Amino acid sequence: MSQEIAVIGSPEFTTGFRLAGVRKFEDVPDEEKADRLDDAVASTMTDDDVGIIVMHDDDLDYLSRGTREDVETSVEPTLVTLGGGAGSGGLRDQIKRAIGIDLMDDED
Amino acid sequence: MAKDVKPTRKNLMAIEDRIELSERGHDTLEQKRDGLIMEFMDILDQAQDIRSEVEADYQTAQQKLDMARAMEGDVAVRGAAAALKEHPEITTQSKNIMGVVVPQIEASKVRKPLDERGYGLVGSSARIDETADAYEDLIDSIILAAEVETAMKKMLEEIETTKRRVNALEFKLLPELKQNQEYIEQKLEEQEREEIFRLKKIKAKKEEEEDEEQEIEADEREGATTASPKAD
Repeated sequence: MSQEIAVIGSPEFTTGFRLAGVRKFEDVPDEEKADRLDDAVASTMTDDDVGIIVMHDDDLDYLSRGTREDVETSVEPTLVTLGGGAGSGGLRDQIKRAIGIDLMDDED
Repeated sequence: MAKDVKPTRKNLMAIEDRIELSERGHDTLEQKRDGLIMEFMDILDQAQDIRSEVEADYQTAQQKLDMARAMEGDVAVRGAAAALKEHPEITTQSKNIMGVVVPQIEASKVRKPLDERGYGLVGSSARIDETADAYEDLIDSIILAAEVETAMKKMLEEIETTKRRVNALEFKLLPELKQNQEYIEQKLEEQEREEIFRLKKIKAKKEEEEDEEQEIEADEREGATTASPKAD
């Protein structure tokens, strides 16, 4: 089954992706992120046609604890964050927990 | 708990079998965990390279988008974005790394020729085309990152599970089984010592009784021999 890429974030963030043909997107202006971002992420995650969710790393801070954990650990759809460097999107914490060492330490 | 086990030879043998099995399982799981960690390290190197590529592509794409917005206006850029007809699609297949099923993502329709973008050649500028190109590159890198990072997440989950199993065997199950084994062995030794002691006691008592009987018999015989000459 073929799936699509979804982009969630401010209109400035999503416009570029739409230029590359991404049609599944959730525009949430900065001033509404605290109220609407959680719902936007939750509804995108329940969409079976979405295989990859793209978000800005800073936007994860607007999410509630539960939604953030769900989206960070989700494998299908998988989350790719931009602008956070290596180990963003909860991967760094997961590595620390599983391996016992911060393997992305030198990447800071 | 050691107190819950019945100290019988049958239970001891069963526990010894379980210890052997658990130790074998523990070794196998340890090997699996180490193997997974080694595989993970290989993927980690790859993931770090892809991640830096994604970040670089994002910076480039953002710069190009800012430039297009500044030169062409936000409305023109949004208008072009809304006109796109072809959409990137991804199909997921799976491969197996040491028992962990990881995805292999294949993308189609990510890169589109100018005439297939849908916003028309006349109505747009080279800056918008460049921005679209940059974002297509970014999507390619994002798809690669998604594949590698999903594989990493799945492997980390498996490493955590295996680690938990190894720890449970090493620090919970095996110590409990060994404690039970020790308890049964002590109890059986104690029972054996009691049995030997009882046998010794019985033997001593039997010997005592035999001695007494012999003494009585000897006395009786002596009595009989002393009594018979008088009668003659």
